[in-house]
Amino acid sequence: MRRQMTHPDSGVLAEYRAGLISGRRGARIAAHLSGCDHCAAVGGQLAEISVLLAAAPVPAMPDGVAHRLDTVLAAEAAKRNDAERVGAQASGERAAHPRRARRGGWRLVTVRVLAPAAAVVALAAVGFGLSHIGGPANSGAASSAAGPAVAPSAAASAAPSAARLAVPANGRESRAALVPAFRSLPALKVFNSPTSYQRSTLRQQIEREVRAPAGPAESASAQIKGCVSRVTAGSGGGTPVLVEKARFEGQPAIVIVASRNGSYTVWVTGPGCSAADDTVLVTQSGISAP
Amino acid sequence: MPGGNGERPSDAELLGRHVAGDSEAFGELFRRHRDRLWAVALRTVCDPDEAADALQDAMVSAFRRAADFRGESAVTTWLHRIVVNAALDRLRRRAVRPAVSAVDEQTFEALVAHGADPARVTDTRLDVDAALRILPPQQRAALVLVDMLGYPVNDAAVILNTSVGTVKSRCARARARLLPHVAHLRGDAARNRSASQSVSPAQGGDA
Repeated sequence: MRRQMTHPDSGVLAEYRAGLISGRRGARIAAHLSGCDHCAAVGGQLAEISVLLAAAPVPAMPDGVAHRLDTVLAAEAAKRNDAERVGAQASGERAAHPRRARRGGWRLVTVRVLAPAAAVVALAAVGFGLSHIGGPANSGAASSAAGPAVAPSAAASAAPSAARLAVPANGRESRAALVPAFRSLPALKVFNSPTSYQRSTLRQQIEREVRAPAGPAESASAQIKGCVSRVTAGSGGGTPVLVEKARFEGQPAIVIVASRNGSYTVWVTGPGCSAADDTVLVTQSGISAP
Repeated sequence: MPGGNGERPSDAELLGRHVAGDSEAFGELFRRHRDRLWAVALRTVCDPDEAADALQDAMVSAFRRAADFRGESAVTTWLHRIVVNAALDRLRRRAVRPAVSAVDEQTFEALVAHGADPARVTDTRLDVDAALRILPPQQRAALVLVDMLGYPVNDAAVILNTSVGTVKSRCARARARLLPHVAHLRGDAARNRSASQSVSPAQGGDA
């Protein structure tokens, strides 16, 4: 060796070990290492770091996170299915019906005939749940929140179809938004409402009904939870604020109301609505919140 | 993945089914790899809550962008890439804490100080995490992939969207930076073995 080098610093040794230093410089380091116990020991420690890191156990995904991700992905899948289905129906309807767009407009989602059983009315609220519904649109929630949300414990106890209820429809809801929203709906209640909704007055009826739901309440069945989660997930979401078994145009129906960005959307479905069949008879958005 | 069962669809098949409209396929793909994806996210952002958010962002993105997958890499490499990007994005957005390295170095030293007492530090992962936290994010991401999770440097380069040389360099600098803490990591590993990898709920995430 013509030149005796000083100890290379640990960064250089690490780069050398990684094969990043070659040629004459590499040869000098190699020569130095062969004659320097100190640097050889440093090299050994660098190797040991890799070994020690490799030995660290891989943490398993916590159950809460796994459940949350499963739920989010299930919602994505449901939303995708709905988008495809609605798209197909919309193209069919356009041929059959003149367009009826209005402010907060009516949108006829299906042309299927209303079954002569009961229909369901549901309202959904987006974002932070009931406590926020009356307030102005929340800026954070408006851009990022989108779905009915459920506390992990509630979701865990629900049937698979109901678990979708926990899901932000756009999949982006942060955990912070997720939990409070469901806390306000510890268990989804279904009102057996005597109200007979009419197409022409649905908006006003819903505005009234949300303030003071009529009729005895019961816990939502798995069927209705599935219906609510699917219906609300398919439309960009919202947090359910009211679900009723009522009548619509004289026929039994399910009415679902969800809140989104401070206003309500209502869907009226047939009584057989479930996670597998969400025949929406009519939906209306932009209903002002109390 | 282990198994090699003839009836089990490959990752690429699952992704293809997903693109074709199968509503279960992506969830199955995710469940198949979720522990590794979680490890990457957790170790890169060093925070269970942030890791869960990053992973959620990543999986929703992967779900929606699956049709863009061209098969140029393994499906797992593609998934990891999306997760690492989401994790680094989160760290960038969180960059309001530039002093984090200094603070964590102190924290780490404090841990080292009572590291001699195994009863004191029951969650051994905390120590590895504390060590990782002193690294800049890009170095940490590289080191996590290569040294902790055992990815070949070539794969890590694809995941990190950079060159092989850059991955090697980041890993080298990261190892050099951890050098002063090797004794602690050594003790940590010993405790790990004796603790038989008990999983602490301290990392339990967002339940």
